[in-house]
Amino acid sequence: MTDWLFSNSAGMPDWFGYLPTLLQGVNITLQITGAGLLLGLVIALSLTWVLERRIPVLAQLTEGYLLLLTGTPLLVQIFLIYYGPAQFDWIKNSWAWTYLREPMFCAILALGMNAGAYTCRLFKGALEAVPKGETLACQALGMNNWQTLSVKLRHAMRRVIPAYSNEVVLVLKGSSLASTISIMEIMGLAQRLNGQTYDTLAIFGLAGAIYLLLNGLLTLAFRRLEKRALQFQTQQ
Amino acid sequence: MLTHLMNASLMTLGLALTSLAIGLVLAILLCGAEMSRFALLRWPANALSTVLRGLPEILVVFFIYFGSTQILFLITDQYIEFSPFWCGVTALSLLFAAYSAQTLRGALNAVDKGQRQAAQALGLPALYTFMHITLPQMWRHALPGLGNQWLVLLKDTALVSLIGVHDLMYQAKAVASRTYEPFTWYGIAALIYLVITVVSQQGLQRLRTRVTRYD
Repeated sequence: MTDWLFSNSAGMPDWFGYLPTLLQGVNITLQITGAGLLLGLVIALSLTWVLERRIPVLAQLTEGYLLLLTGTPLLVQIFLIYYGPAQFDWIKNSWAWTYLREPMFCAILALGMNAGAYTCRLFKGALEAVPKGETLACQALGMNNWQTLSVKLRHAMRRVIPAYSNEVVLVLKGSSLASTISIMEIMGLAQRLNGQTYDTLAIFGLAGAIYLLLNGLLTLAFRRLEKRALQFQTQQ
Repeated sequence: MLTHLMNASLMTLGLALTSLAIGLVLAILLCGAEMSRFALLRWPANALSTVLRGLPEILVVFFIYFGSTQILFLITDQYIEFSPFWCGVTALSLLFAAYSAQTLRGALNAVDKGQRQAAQALGLPALYTFMHITLPQMWRHALPGLGNQWLVLLKDTALVSLIGVHDLMYQAKAVASRTYEPFTWYGIAALIYLVITVVSQQGLQRLRTRVTRYD
């Protein structure tokens, strides 16, 4: 019954043999996560700016973008971006095709667009939570719109850190979906190993442990950042 | 083709609703265990929900689908495959429960302690107090969080297509590869998901105004 646990003579669990293979994927997982977060941040900041300034047509378009990206599954978005463009010859003949046929590019684009939408919602909420008096104070001091927004932004940025750390974890978890378009990150490697050996419990268990470790480290890092950013509150 | 997708949408809805029902029960159990006086209950429940919240959803789905077969193989030496549908439901309801247990715990804590004490003072039995006084007030606090979790669950159902449940995503993939029109069909699938989400949001909004009508 227990021979599956201790299958080699040294008595070491055989399944640690999977670890080096799985660890090869950590790099790509982190690359997708990092790039996706960066793209998401850029998108979120621009969209928040558009919504905050209430720019006529762009604000409605942004609302549509948010609805579309937060109302559909990430998997559909990834498939739409990776498989979708191949339907149109004019895309295939354009310069964009060199990027759009790359799974890595598509995964980052999809994840970034998705994260951008969710992050924009976060930022919007944080901006709305900034006390009204602060805006009024800025105006009373004779600041222009842009300066007022920058004051509000700096206030909101500090408050948004805990919620943003959740978003980071979501993006890291979402990066595992890149495996569905043939990228060999942690999940992709785990699936390949599973297909070769059917040693599911060990392989997915180890892959899960890696994800938990990464998430744990990220959460810890953000908690420290949060403490520093909100330090001014606790000092009397 | 469209009728295929419509039937598949019903499958997606069925999957989501079944997972919701089982997930809610699991969430209540998990929440109860997390708030229990006994460390022996509290610890595993906390560990389970922490682990589930830290794992990618796709990994949980695969782990349960392929893992259940492996466990059965180790026990019985026979290769038995569970139905993808029920594996999907298990995975989705566990994920739903892990997040919702937190919401429920917060909601329970948000109910004023005085309510329970007043019931105690009136000599009402503990179970009656919980069912008729704490619980109805708890839903009000829990509803926004649970509503969000439902929307997440709805989107997570797409992952179950990867283990072969014939849901919306699966059919969209099948039609897309048959017609060589991936953009059209994935786009239609996305729109159907969007419609379900928007209708849910509207429903949740109405539910919220209903439960908070005495506020």
